[in-house]
Amino acid sequence: MIRSALTISLPILFGFVPLGIAFGLLFQELGYPWYFASLMAVFVYAGAAQFMAIGLLSSGIGLLEIAISTFFLNSRHMFYGLAFLQSFGNWNLRKLYLIFGLTDETYALMTTIKVPKNFTKERYYFFITLFAQLYWVLGCTIGALAANALSFNTSGMEFAATALFVVLLIEQWVKVKRLLPFVIAFIASAIALLFFIKHMLLVAIILSIASIVLFRLFKIQPNE
Amino acid sequence: MNEINYLLAAMLVMTVATYITRLTPFLLFSKGQESSLFNYISKSTPPMVMTILVIYMLKDVEYLTFEIVYTFIALLVTTGLHIYKRNALLSIVSGTIVYMIFVQT
Repeated sequence: MIRSALTISLPILFGFVPLGIAFGLLFQELGYPWYFASLMAVFVYAGAAQFMAIGLLSSGIGLLEIAISTFFLNSRHMFYGLAFLQSFGNWNLRKLYLIFGLTDETYALMTTIKVPKNFTKERYYFFITLFAQLYWVLGCTIGALAANALSFNTSGMEFAATALFVVLLIEQWVKVKRLLPFVIAFIASAIALLFFIKHMLLVAIILSIASIVLFRLFKIQPNE
Repeated sequence: MNEINYLLAAMLVMTVATYITRLTPFLLFSKGQESSLFNYISKSTPPMVMTILVIYMLKDVEYLTFEIVYTFIALLVTTGLHIYKRNALLSIVSGTIVYMIFVQT
């Protein structure tokens, strides 16, 4: 099971390590010891929020502001758990960790893959989540350590995250085979980009879910 | 507050804030109470989120520049390879390498 989870989580490696390195490099500019970048990856474990934190920390902003901005930046995660209410199993430490590790990437991967029949879902998810966080910690640590010594040109590597989401989008299409969610999300994204570019992710997700509920409630069934 | 304490406090605050966002749905909804509408929502959310994430990642590409051309080429490589081979790793790595070559030259 561990090998299978490792293999299936590898796409996240290619997204997380370069992004983590970028974070580590930037974080070092704040002047803290390198291991704080690793600690951030272990405890906070939220890509976008960590990047935002670099800016906030350098301005010496208050803790309440940090809490509120982190909360709103990550509030899209509130919708991610919906897909796993059952599959994370009963309340125990593992479930608490699975929830802790629910990032964009793990959500995307775990809602797309099929868990092999002979494996327990929550255990399989646990290893994927664990490996994903290890990649992130690894990336952040490398970046912080190598801040002065990096000789490999990593620019452009951030495209790996885009490519991962594209691949998962194709897989979702194969799995879902209904046009409606994709069209709704596309229109919602366009609206969010036009009017709420700062909170694009959250606005687009809320608009999409609201629209799909409306479609369902009014039993609008477009020919698909 | 000295510098390190400020950083530690900020990390604690961020950890809690992030965890709350991820924990909320599990506290609000218990396993038994799912309706068909609820199932419908949780099934439709992944394809919508994936669409949104892709658009989000591409939103800062400057149009009418060379960037949009090589971004498109890299996307084409990833998409094409993935439809052809269905190997996630291969599609991601190839697209990224193509993108990096363009960015770095």
